[in-house]
Amino acid sequence: MTGAPHRWAAWLRTPAGILLLGLLILFFNGLATVAFAHGVADGDKGYIQETSGFLFWPFLYLGAKHMVTGYDHLLFLLGVIFFLYRMKDISIYVTLFAIGHSSTLLLGVLTDVSVSSYLVDAIIGLSVVYKALDNMGAYQRWFGFQPNTKAATLVFGLFHGFGLATKLQDFNLSPDGLIGNLLAFNVGVEIGQLLALGAILIVMGFWRKSSSFWRHAYTANVVVMTLGFILAGYQLVGFFVA
Amino acid sequence: MYNANKPDASELPSTGQLLRSTGIAAVVATALLVAVVLPAEYGVDPTRIGSVLGLTEMGRIKMQLAAETEAEEAGLAVAASAPAAAPAASTTAITPAADTPGQRSDETVLTLEPDQGAEIKLVMDEGARVRFTWTSSGGAINYDTHADRPGTPYHGYGKGTEQRVEGELVAAFDGSHGWFWRNRTGEPVTITLRTNGAYSEVKRVV
Repeated sequence: MTGAPHRWAAWLRTPAGILLLGLLILFFNGLATVAFAHGVADGDKGYIQETSGFLFWPFLYLGAKHMVTGYDHLLFLLGVIFFLYRMKDISIYVTLFAIGHSSTLLLGVLTDVSVSSYLVDAIIGLSVVYKALDNMGAYQRWFGFQPNTKAATLVFGLFHGFGLATKLQDFNLSPDGLIGNLLAFNVGVEIGQLLALGAILIVMGFWRKSSSFWRHAYTANVVVMTLGFILAGYQLVGFFVA
Repeated sequence: MYNANKPDASELPSTGQLLRSTGIAAVVATALLVAVVLPAEYGVDPTRIGSVLGLTEMGRIKMQLAAETEAEEAGLAVAASAPAAAPAASTTAITPAADTPGQRSDETVLTLEPDQGAEIKLVMDEGARVRFTWTSSGGAINYDTHADRPGTPYHGYGKGTEQRVEGELVAAFDGSHGWFWRNRTGEPVTITLRTNGAYSEVKRVV
């Protein structure tokens, strides 16, 4: 009993604790950034609304920024590579995720499919929950079989791409230079993903070497799952309220 | 029980390798921060790389929009009792050659300082048509032709960066239809807008 608070404090000092704290800060920072109600928008949206034509580097930057600051994508990525340590496996899964989100990102914007961003983001939150449960071995325990992890990564990648597409559509993209800008954004998303992955892998690399990794792996996935539930709930409420 | 294979210690990267990776990550991050993130977010560009890539322009625009919003909010707080009037634009009615009922012609002239934005809207009924020409006395400026009405904050007709645009505006609904301009040329410009068609009012919104 007396050991419990102490264990938590110790856990927070592990690399995983720091990583999750960082993600939590990003997460609440993201929640606090609400849409702007003025006629002329601020920030990236204001820039995109005002400009037109093919702007390769700015859109590449925005794609990378969206990924690096997108807590939902980062949480899913963390879940996917949580138990992967061989470079070969990591590249297979990350490529599957990239194929998934690139295809729906391009398709969604080019065909102008409009899906509610709240519903898509709620599914993205649930994809985090799914992956955390998968890591915990819940499906083997509950159903006696292991659903294909590669297929799940690809399918959830498709939803993450739709999420990216709805964000871009919200920006009133100019039709002038649209395809070039879209491809630049997509390349940026992949670059941002590799940068974020690099950072996550280094932290996980340190953590995996300590014995605490296997002791805390379960708790860490519970925390990831909790964040996934919060994300899903936040978006579902937004669907009805906003 | 996890959905995982336990690795051998030999399969994991060594501490030295991880420290090296951390060092590389820190160096890459610093380089990207200085060369890319600072220009794109704040328009601060010590290496000049951001200017070459067009990212400094983005940062500068974002900083300027943020400052404008802040000033606008401060202004709203002050002018809460008296509605702030948009800066004046001089609109002159041109006597039409053939006096067609319901048609009118105007010439509107306004000056934009560097980074300033302005919006002129015509009050039109659905399906009404207006021929227009606008020219900038300086370089090409950013424009956004659009409409709004209660319940529809934005309906786009087209945007771009031009020095002169000539065309016809067909109102998609009863409401305000017009042009937003933003001068990013770095020099003051004068915009001359000529309109001719079925509208009841010319108003300067911003």
